[in-house]
Amino acid sequence: MIDGIIQPHDTRGDLRLECDVVVVGSGAGGATAAAVLAEAGLRVIVLEEGGWYPTEEFSANIPEMLGKLMRGGASTVMVGRSPVPYLEGRCVGGTTVVNGGMCWRTPEKVLDTWVRERGLAHLAPKALEPHFDAVESAIDARYQDPGSEGGVNDRFKAGADALGWKLSRNKRNQRHCVGSNDCVTGCPTGAKRSTAESWLPRFYAAGGRLFTHFKVERVRTRQGRATGLAGTILDPVGARRFTVEARAVVLSCGAIQTPLLLQRNKLCKPCGHVGRHFTIHPNIKMAARFDTPVDSLRGTHQAWQCMEFGDEGILMAPGAIPLAFMSAIFPSFGPRLAERLRDYRYIATGGILVDDHAEGRIRALPFGVPYIRYDVTDVDQSKFVRAAALMAELYFAAGANEVYTPFHHLPVIGGPDDIAKLYAHPPRVEDTEYFTAHLMGTCRMSAHPRGGVVDPNGETWDVSGLYVADAGTMPGTIGVNPQVTIMALARLIAVRLADRLGRKVPAKIAQVAGHAAA
Amino acid sequence: MSSDFSFRGYTRRVARSVVDAMVPRWPELDADLTDAVLEQVEDFARNYPPFIRFGVMVMLYGLEFSGPFVRDGLRPTSFLDREAATRRLEKVADHRIPQIRMMVMLPKIMVSFSAYSRPEVEAFLGADRRAWRANRKAFREVLIQLDERRAADPPVPAPLVGDAVRPEDYLRFERT
Repeated sequence: MIDGIIQPHDTRGDLRLECDVVVVGSGAGGATAAAVLAEAGLRVIVLEEGGWYPTEEFSANIPEMLGKLMRGGASTVMVGRSPVPYLEGRCVGGTTVVNGGMCWRTPEKVLDTWVRERGLAHLAPKALEPHFDAVESAIDARYQDPGSEGGVNDRFKAGADALGWKLSRNKRNQRHCVGSNDCVTGCPTGAKRSTAESWLPRFYAAGGRLFTHFKVERVRTRQGRATGLAGTILDPVGARRFTVEARAVVLSCGAIQTPLLLQRNKLCKPCGHVGRHFTIHPNIKMAARFDTPVDSLRGTHQAWQCMEFGDEGILMAPGAIPLAFMSAIFPSFGPRLAERLRDYRYIATGGILVDDHAEGRIRALPFGVPYIRYDVTDVDQSKFVRAAALMAELYFAAGANEVYTPFHHLPVIGGPDDIAKLYAHPPRVEDTEYFTAHLMGTCRMSAHPRGGVVDPNGETWDVSGLYVADAGTMPGTIGVNPQVTIMALARLIAVRLADRLGRKVPAKIAQVAGHAAA
Repeated sequence: MSSDFSFRGYTRRVARSVVDAMVPRWPELDADLTDAVLEQVEDFARNYPPFIRFGVMVMLYGLEFSGPFVRDGLRPTSFLDREAATRRLEKVADHRIPQIRMMVMLPKIMVSFSAYSRPEVEAFLGADRRAWRANRKAFREVLIQLDERRAADPPVPAPLVGDAVRPEDYLRFERT
């Protein structure tokens, strides 16, 4: 056994476990909740479906790492007017192992809306501030070391500066991110403070135990109360069974897997909201070719964001990505793509995120097949068209000579004068390639039983003792990268749960911890 | 957990022809990537859930028999030479009907991810990721040693680096 991690080869036969709280999932929500609960003195177990991979095992072999770290080997896609590929981490640390590490607090105007329109007074900016502080300390939400940004970020900044557009410096959960630009297949240097490097070491130190390759299938209930879990240990030698008995069950499987688990167990049906209100911050990728080398190999993923058009729900950012991922941005293949990527060193990539107004839905179909549907609306598409035009303007202002779009009918914009073509013939949703890694809202928090799946404490309205602490609890879309919001909500839910179970969270919990492990 | 999936029989022929039509080639790079990429595509598929693997098969066979959709005759794609197969798949990718274009989407991503993460391709295009990663690991070790001499970390959100490293030296990388 390594520290607090128990892998299939550490145990034999079927397992029957007992604890105060069992948490399903070790990503942003689960790891945060588990650490807070364990530090409050509760006996906590975390069950993770994926495996544990220390930094040394993050190899440069992209297909191998996608298979190890992501659900379905990164093949996941939701259906709709245009299919949207999405990423979901499935490993110890969850999606925090494969994300870009952006750390934004929930915008105050969003929190104010949640208070005003949804009656969630405990989510007011002032009330959440201690949770944000604690989260940012725990995960080292820092600005990049000067000089680590790299050409992709520099070009983006040059363009925004030339146009006088407002830029915000990104905080990222990192300690000396040295710009290896391999965030998405696991940080090879250990700089990224995923939950595996931040919250979970605290959890183990407080006596918590994490079991890998535990696939939860059943939520056990008795007289309307959750009493534990059951499922399969995905042991390569042969599948085994496990059961866990607990005073409270916390589901932190993410905004897709949590509602699927609830639906497969026919739980929380009366509220009518499980799997609904699915928002995804759809985003599109852009690229630009310059006359001088950009060298996107070197530098950090996203050091800046352009907030100039935040009021319109548009967020633009540079996004340095490895060559293989860059190759997926371009619609071509074979000789055409080979010619285009001859200029790899001269190409900068970026992304546009739109604060969406659509709501998708998640349903569990027979034989374990998930049905995930999200239709980008024409309203959001008009934002994408405007945002793509703005991003092209930015890149040309930075000196680009060509800009590449995700639109089928206009894949290349040859110069500033061509930008108008986007407005003259606006691309349809069906002719646009989207992507997302921000999955939210499917078990939303509400002040009233008819308004959502969980109450202000994170406990499901329909099953007592059953909690949700992940991105699904967000009452609405937030318009920024969600990991800090997820962690802050999970911390709030865990503090309240500890209190209910008769434990107080120690004051020192806000202190920075785990630095020695850097 | 991955399965023991592999392309077999006629399906292997179909998959190989799609990979062969999609892999990049440059006259200056002496490497035929088709078989290596096909193996990696199999690796990808091994990690996919069964229903996604089924979708991959549907797309591959859709491409195999896509001739009539793009007015390119009835011959299956795997019976065309490489250039003709590439031209046909490009017609599919450029088709005005999104549902037909979608047949290319997943195979294209699988082939691109596999081909453009090959060490020889990365090095050829100036993205020597393996060397860069090794360089970064060593550089970060130096920074961590500098941290150990510091009395306390600056508070969040301040950067950690001090005056010891000049910004212009931070991403220094001598290509070999």
